Parts: sequence; C-alpha cells; structure tokens
Amino acid sequence: MKVVEKTPAWLKLVDHTADAGIAVEAPDLGRLFERAAWGMFSVITDVAAVRATETFRIRVDASDRAALLVRWLSELNFLHVTEHRLLSKFEVMTLSEQHLEAGVFGEVFDPARHTIFTEIKAVTFHDLQLERDERSWKAQIIFDL
Amino acid sequence: MDYKIRKLTDYLWELPKTGGMRAPARIYATEDMIAQITGDKAPEQAANVAHLPGIVTASLAMPDIHWGYGFPIGGVAAFDLDEGVISPGGVGYDINCGVRLMASRLTRQQIGPRLRQLVNQLFRDVPTGVGAAGALTVPVDELRRVAQRGARWAVERGCGSETDLAHIEEHGCISGADPAEVSGRAWQRGREQLGTLGSGNHFLEIGYVAEIYDAEAARVLGLEIDKVTAIIHCGSRGFGYQICDDYLGIMDGAVRKYHIALPDRQLACAPVDSPEGRRYLGAMRCAVNYAFANRQVIAHHTRKAFEKALGVSSAEAGLRTVYEVAHNIAKFERHVVDGRERQLCVHRKGATRAFAPGCVEVPPEYRAIGQPVLIPGDMGRYSYVLTGTEKAMRETFGSTCHGAGRAMSRVKARQAAAGRNIVREMEERGIIVRGQSRRTVDEEISEAYKDVCSVVDACALAGISRKVAQLRPLGCIKG
Repeated sequence: MKVVEKTPAWLKLVDHTADAGIAVEAPDLGRLFERAAWGMFSVITDVAAVRATETFRIRVDASDRAALLVRWLSELNFLHVTEHRLLSKFEVMTLSEQHLEAGVFGEVFDPARHTIFTEIKAVTFHDLQLERDERSWKAQIIFDL
Repeated sequence: MDYKIRKLTDYLWELPKTGGMRAPARIYATEDMIAQITGDKAPEQAANVAHLPGIVTASLAMPDIHWGYGFPIGGVAAFDLDEGVISPGGVGYDINCGVRLMASRLTRQQIGPRLRQLVNQLFRDVPTGVGAAGALTVPVDELRRVAQRGARWAVERGCGSETDLAHIEEHGCISGADPAEVSGRAWQRGREQLGTLGSGNHFLEIGYVAEIYDAEAARVLGLEIDKVTAIIHCGSRGFGYQICDDYLGIMDGAVRKYHIALPDRQLACAPVDSPEGRRYLGAMRCAVNYAFANRQVIAHHTRKAFEKALGVSSAEAGLRTVYEVAHNIAKFERHVVDGRERQLCVHRKGATRAFAPGCVEVPPEYRAIGQPVLIPGDMGRYSYVLTGTEKAMRETFGSTCHGAGRAMSRVKARQAAAGRNIVREMEERGIIVRGQSRRTVDEEISEAYKDVCSVVDACALAGISRKVAQLRPLGCIKG
C-alpha cells in the first residue's frame, strides 16, 4: 500500500487496489477526528462546494478509541446517505476513550452544485491505525467503496 | 510474497495444508497469471480461510482472485452444517451483488444513431445513488415484504413478469429471510435506494453479441450475433452494506464466545447452527432478496427506457431476461463430497454459481446446456456468457469466476486518465459513457481492469465453465 496525492498537507489519500483510504495527522486527538471526517467527505464530494448552513449534533460511543473513530465516521456516512446531507465543518466538543460529542455543519445535497464522486459502503477496521508520536496524532482509515 | 505453492495441473495450484489449516487452499489460474496472483496477499487470505472450522475439501479461489476484507474476492468456501461456520466476510459488504443479462430483438444496426438517446434515457431513468431522483421510496413495512419476496415483490407491482422470475437464480427469492434480524439502520439505509445502481464498479451496459463460441448453447439462450443486450451489475445497496457491517460486529463477539481460533480477525464468524449464525443468515437473506428486487426494478426501467428512446413497443424491443446470477452470497446447497451427498453452506464472494447440465436448479429450458454464467468485463472491452460444467460440480461446488478485477487503484486510474477526455475517447470507439462525475468515469477506465478474457479462458481451460458468447459494449452508465 502506497501513500500518494496531497490535499491539504495533513491529509493523504491511501492507495489501495480495490478500495480507498485516508491518512490524517493533527496536533491533538479532537482535531484528528475532525480532519478524518473532512477527509472522508473529500472522498465523497468536493468539500469546498459544501456550505456550512445546517448543524447536526452527533454522539457516539464505542469500546475503545480506534473503534470510536470508526463509529464516528460511520455515523456521519449514515447521516449523509439517509438524510442526503453533505458535511464540510466538524467541531469535536467532548472526547474521551469511549465517547464523542460533536457539532457538524453542512447542507442538503444539491445536484446542481454538488458532485458525488462515490458512495462509501462502510468504514472498515482493515489496516486501521490510530497512534501518537511526540508531535502529533496520526490515523489511517480504509473505506469499502 | 513467498508462497510454497504447488502446481497440481496447468490450471490449478495448491497451498498445502500447514500449521492451523484444516484443508489446503487451491487457486485456479494459468501459469502466466499465478506470478501476478502470488504478488499480493490474496493467496494468504485463501490459506487463512482454510483455518476455519468445518471447511470441506479446500478453500478455493477463482482466477480473478484479489484482496478482499478477510476472505479474498474470487473465493469459494463450503462448510459442514454441523461443524462449520458462516462468515459475513465470506459474502462481502454488497450482499447478492450480481449480474442480469437481458437480450433484445433489435440489432445494433437497427439502433444505430439512436444509441445516444437510449444511453441518455437510461441515465435519466435509472438512478444511481445518493439523493437521486427516481428511486422508489418504500416505507419500512413494505420493505419487509421486499426482504421476504425479492424480485416477486417488484413483479407484483407491475415491474416485469413471471418469465423474468424463472430466469433468476433462486427464482429471485431466497427462503429463510428473517426481517426481525435486520437493524433499524439497515432499514433506513434501504428505504430510498430500491431501483438504484450505486457507485464503484456498478453499472448498466448496453452491448451486443459479438462472438459465439458454443452455437447450441447460444441458440438455447437466444443469443444471436449483433443482437442488442443489456447488463445490470449491482447489489443490495446500503441495506446490504449495513447488514454486513452490523454482523461483522456481532461475529466479533461470537468468535470469543465459541473460542474460534482465527489467523485474521476479519474472518469473524459463528457456527452455522448457532444463534448468531442463524441471525446473520436470516438478515443476509433479506439483503439477498432486496438485491433481487433492486435488479428487477432496474430491469423494468431499462425496458421503459428502450421503448421511450427508440420509439418501439415492448414487443418490438423484446427485452427478455436471459439469466441473473448472484456473485456475493452464502447458500445451503447439496454437493457430492467423497462419494457422499451432503448439505453444505457454500460461501461465494466474487464467485458465481455455475451448475452443470441436468441440475434441477437450472431452468428446464436451459437444463441441457447447464446454468448460464454472466461475467462482466470493463466498460471498454467485453463481457462473457459461460455455462456451468460437471467438472465444476466435482471440484468447485459448482462455482466459477465473476469478473475482471482491478489492475490499478482508483488513484492510479485517475492519474492514468489525467489530461485525457475519457468520455470522448470512448465515443471515438463507438461507446457512449455517462457517469455521475468525471472522476467516476476516470476511475473506471478500461485499463484500470485486468483483461477479463484471460480470467474466462483460465476457467474454460480448467474445465469449470464453458464459453458461450462474447458481448461488446455500446453504451454504459456509471454511478
């Protein structure tokens, strides 16, 4: 698996033959979760075209931090596919090992202004990475497309 | 990767039983293909599957084997009903992803310049995905009936006929679906997606019969040179994805509960005859039926689009279902193992059932030639119609390949397509392509896929299917 393409500096698309993934980096864990969400929506659409006109409150629980990341992204994808929302801004408010609360911002999908590149079938545990070094937090998530 | 692989025949390779493996892993491929196949982790995944309790004969892989979640794509694994397991990873996220082939009375010459209108009409009338106009919104109560009745649900609502049902694997409805085992989230994801194609490698293709290899089988299937065809490739949409996702979590718990030793956590499974196993089977079959209904609705819209765009009656278009197969599924089937007939749970993940001539599961009108098998290729080259064989019954639990498989990642495909106008390139080759976005089309360029011809030839040479006809594309819509 090789990492290619850069948009923005903290986000990399992970090259995987059948599917696609993202690698993100952030100074703290909250920002990492926010950037992972932005990264996931950049796989789905051109996030720059998504206005942050609506707010949703998200709460998720999981058994550990890595599972929490998968649950968080799955929840946002669920909101996208069932409510036809595209999201472009994410603010983590509460975050612990097993619990996350966030405000997310976006708008209703409008075919005149938005392009859907792909659907994400699922956020997977395959090659899931979530780690920290002295300077930052890093995560890698593979999506089933 | 360094595999201790053994050549059994010119078209069959074996990873012998070692360590915790309960059976060997066997890969169908030509000498040319095996070097490429052993270049990645898919053979290791096939060997991992052989660790699972109750596996019968061998963990099998078809020539289009490539990496998948837990089980490899192109994998076939059969399990004993008493000692064996059922695994969502052995079916895949897109439960009952499959292929329908329809053939019309019209020749490509008759369609001629109206091809563009036809493809545009299909692009308007067959929705692809999120927020797409034209998808059926089905309340959950009704969706429960879809999950139990499959394609018949659609036929009862005027989408198609009994003749369609007769030419679908399982007649378009698998028994044992249990809506009580489906989560609220899955119902919500399925509510607005009936009659939609989805994205990724799913498509609707208009093509024509370009070559015939088996004249008698082609005659029986009604395939004639130059006659226009339609291929629908899609599955159970968000409904199935969510069921897979839900049960991967449940199976994770079951692995601990039943003390199943796994070489890879993604093989999470439960005994076939356990509460968790039965629950997954009940839910999975709901998704199987959803996918049958989905393709039936799309087939109906395809017929209507033919009539509208070409200004012909339904009888003039004569668009009939040749056959429909599932290539991501787990089923209870009877197979002869070591001279004894046994009921097994056969997982096919990116593999197609290919039953031999004479099998009762094959529609009576096709029984003399064997079950039709539909193998789609990429949007620029060709697809194939095959039939099942007696050898497949003996060696692969009546299974064969399912498609080409990607040669390039999506990112690499986009790089290969950069600076090119793929839609125009295809048009210059006589193929009209419509996609949701330029990126979608770029990611699906022909060269991003392996040549399906080599996959099909390997299956034919190995004797697990017979080549009947080749179809070439005229137009394609992509989600």
